[in-house]
Amino acid sequence: MAEAIAPDRTLDCKGLLCPMPIVKLSKAVKEMSSGEVVLMEATDPGSVPDVAAWSKQTGNPIVSQDQAGGVMRFWIRKA
Amino acid sequence: MARLLYVHTGGVNNPERSATPIYLATTAAAMDIEVGIYFTVNGPTLLRKGVAESLIVPKHDGHGAPLRRFIDQALDLGVKFYVCQPSLDLHGLTHADLIDGVEMIGGAAFNDMALEADRVICF
Repeated sequence: MAEAIAPDRTLDCKGLLCPMPIVKLSKAVKEMSSGEVVLMEATDPGSVPDVAAWSKQTGNPIVSQDQAGGVMRFWIRKA
Repeated sequence: MARLLYVHTGGVNNPERSATPIYLATTAAAMDIEVGIYFTVNGPTLLRKGVAESLIVPKHDGHGAPLRRFIDQALDLGVKFYVCQPSLDLHGLTHADLIDGVEMIGGAAFNDMALEADRVICF
């Protein structure tokens, strides 16, 4: 289960549209220490490919993700 | 670090074309990509002091946001803004008429940036 990963912080991006979720994610991860995990919640369907592309480009891995009731959740570990 | 260069030719007469390159460049900056926007042709009209505050980026429901918000977001994330003199002359503008944070370059510098960038994307 994705819930098994305890995040160090949570980032609520529900209701936000491109480019805000990625902008907020970038800012949050810059404030974190290496190894910490952020749980990001988003409702923009574009977040799925966008978070994947952001992760690939920045090297901060998505350690888990799920989707329920129109809310997408991503657990991202700072590299 | 990857590098992208956007070329923005849209101006105040096309509000629907004003924000997209700025959104994309902002997203690139958030992806830790080194990114600049070269405002040319009508692009510099968006950077005139006082313009972006009242230029509303349209939305279908009529609740658009001012372009200034997106410009500030881009500059805050480190997107570089560039203009060149001939496109300012086209609109009777000088560098002093523009908002803070815009760098003046010339055609040679632009061409060099384009060659150094991984991709150039034109609007």
